[in-house]
Amino acid sequence: MKKKLSMAMAVAMAMTTFLSAGMCVSAEDTADIGEPNGGVEVEVWHYFEHEAAALNAVCKEYNAMQSDIYVVPTFVSREELMKQYTIGAVSGELPDIGMVDSPDMASYISLGVFEDITSYLEGWEDLDQFYPGPLSSCMDPEGNLYGLPNNSNCLAILCNMELLKAAGFEEPPKTLDEFKAVCEATTDPDNGVYGFAMCAIGNEEGTFQFIPWLYGAGATVASVNSEEGKAAFETLGELISNGWMSKEVVNWGQGDALNAWIAGKAAMLESGTWQVAQLDGDYKDSVTWEYAFVPMPQSANGAQATVIGGENFGVCAGAADVEACVDFLKYMQSAQCNADWCEVAGKLPVRGDAVELKDFWTADERYKVFNDSMEFAVARGPHESWPTISEALYTAEQAVLLGEKDAATAVADAAAVIDPIVAEVPLP
Amino acid sequence: MKMTIAKKKKLEGYMFVLPGFLYILIVLGYPLIYNIRLAFRNVNVKTFKSGTDVFVGLQNFTELFQDPTFQLIFKNTLVFTIGCLVFQFTIGFIFAMFFSKKFTLAGPIRGMILVGYMMPMSVTALLGKNMFDVSSGVINDLLMKLHLIQQPVEWLLQGNTAMIAIIAVNCWVGIPFNMLLLTSGLTGISQDVYESAEVDGASSIQKFLHITLPLMKPAIASVLMLGFIYTFKAFDLQFVMTSGGPLNATDVLGTYAYTLSFTQYEFSKGSAAAIVLFCCLFVVGLFYLRMISKEDD
Repeated sequence: MKKKLSMAMAVAMAMTTFLSAGMCVSAEDTADIGEPNGGVEVEVWHYFEHEAAALNAVCKEYNAMQSDIYVVPTFVSREELMKQYTIGAVSGELPDIGMVDSPDMASYISLGVFEDITSYLEGWEDLDQFYPGPLSSCMDPEGNLYGLPNNSNCLAILCNMELLKAAGFEEPPKTLDEFKAVCEATTDPDNGVYGFAMCAIGNEEGTFQFIPWLYGAGATVASVNSEEGKAAFETLGELISNGWMSKEVVNWGQGDALNAWIAGKAAMLESGTWQVAQLDGDYKDSVTWEYAFVPMPQSANGAQATVIGGENFGVCAGAADVEACVDFLKYMQSAQCNADWCEVAGKLPVRGDAVELKDFWTADERYKVFNDSMEFAVARGPHESWPTISEALYTAEQAVLLGEKDAATAVADAAAVIDPIVAEVPLP
Repeated sequence: MKMTIAKKKKLEGYMFVLPGFLYILIVLGYPLIYNIRLAFRNVNVKTFKSGTDVFVGLQNFTELFQDPTFQLIFKNTLVFTIGCLVFQFTIGFIFAMFFSKKFTLAGPIRGMILVGYMMPMSVTALLGKNMFDVSSGVINDLLMKLHLIQQPVEWLLQGNTAMIAIIAVNCWVGIPFNMLLLTSGLTGISQDVYESAEVDGASSIQKFLHITLPLMKPAIASVLMLGFIYTFKAFDLQFVMTSGGPLNATDVLGTYAYTLSFTQYEFSKGSAAAIVLFCCLFVVGLFYLRMISKEDD
């Protein structure tokens, strides 16, 4: 019997190993980046999905115009990429160039994942053209640069105008009171339609979507434990308690929230710049109704805010040829490339002169909303302990949305985590 | 001369053990020692690059055990493990008994039940996430159609129901695993024993209690021990299905250690949490080894 038992265990373990091994195998990268040019291979890790083709095109162009380096982009999922950076900080196994979500960059700079490239960028006049917000996310507290911002995005409200009009609203809401009125009027429990959908998941995405409500109420991350901070949590808690927003938002990523809107289950959505391209692409046939984007609602006290998102590219510690890598970044982030890339990928440029090259961000009403919103957009950090700050915020938000805590307790709990961190190293 | 041969034999024995020992030392020993070292220092995002971390003794452990979140997570891990073990073992045993009978399609059906075990856990977790969805999940739909509930259950939105959902999904994987191992145990029992018991007029319950259970004892103990080890160190199910939420209600030691190290960059605290996990498993592992060596004796 023992022999059979051992055999069964061996089979069970072998099956586990086989399946695990199977999961590691990924499709071979068939990206068109041009023939090898004889240069040193420079590995670029990124997590672009629908934008990957545009990145490949930039690499192909660069590979054809010089022969010092051969740029090879490799897709790594965001979760995996973040893990690899952390492991790479210890093992030294890092790509030459790596993409990173802008609020995470400060932590990775602190961990030594990225190389200080300040000296390589000295005298590069283009640097003045970069917007201060995105550029600051590539810096350490002393102002040294570790990479260049690639794109920006922010959040606005996407309205299903068919549902709004049916509820008697000809225009999208501008103020918070109007927003709540639309939420109430468009909520239709019989058909499972909510007035509003957003992402409140327990990770950075959740914090990203929460920041506009916090700053829009007149508070900041550092002053979360204030009347304004409390008001921000109360506003979102009210959406749930009134039945205007599904409690399921605590499990929804931004893609899930968009899916709910696409399925006609939400009249309004907190939506990002990149989703315009998705509406024109994958969801073109699904959205049969008229829709409109409108900036985040303005509070009664006049406060209005959105949040800056975006990705940066940094040169990783131990890169084979730092100067060549920086040259590639300079090319990739040149005004023309940045404008071309952001147009294709549906993102906002990170430099002023790139915006002037095309009327894409001003002629298209949808992008114009996001472009104009950048005037009141706030950055997350940069701060080396941003992940801990972020966790405190999304945990407090989830506690209020799930009815586990009232707003006053939630802000006090969040502040108990955030205050000591910002007392030691203040937020910019 | 005799001594020399004995010594040679001894050396030969050591040489046979050496590759395995080296493998364990490099693959298991080094990371373990590195982890223990981390757990007693204060390596985090601030001290990592500068190398200014210092020895802090048991501070990481005391902070962890005083942290209400960690206390909740430790409790979750125990509830999850025990909950899964009870259901997957009981149902797995019933299935093993049932499918050990010779009837038409017994083999193919048993094979189909194994599909749950063969699926990658991340896929299972995604399925679970969709099935327990409040508005569009098949579980609520089914319960509503059967008139067992009036309103959809907020499965993954409340702590208790989220834990039930995650235990249920894990059992879907665990039941075939238990069934597979217990079936091997059952087929090892000679039919002669049952036949002679029948001749003596033993009832089915008596046969189960006095023949099956005692003879299955080693298999049952192995299944429970291995089940405990596999379940206690769970990670991927929680990570994909609930991300440990809502509000840490389904967070377990594995996911918490990961979050501390890879999301918060609190490497030392993450290591301390991993050491707690390791110690728990080590104790169970020792029991298992002791049990196996007793069996061998």
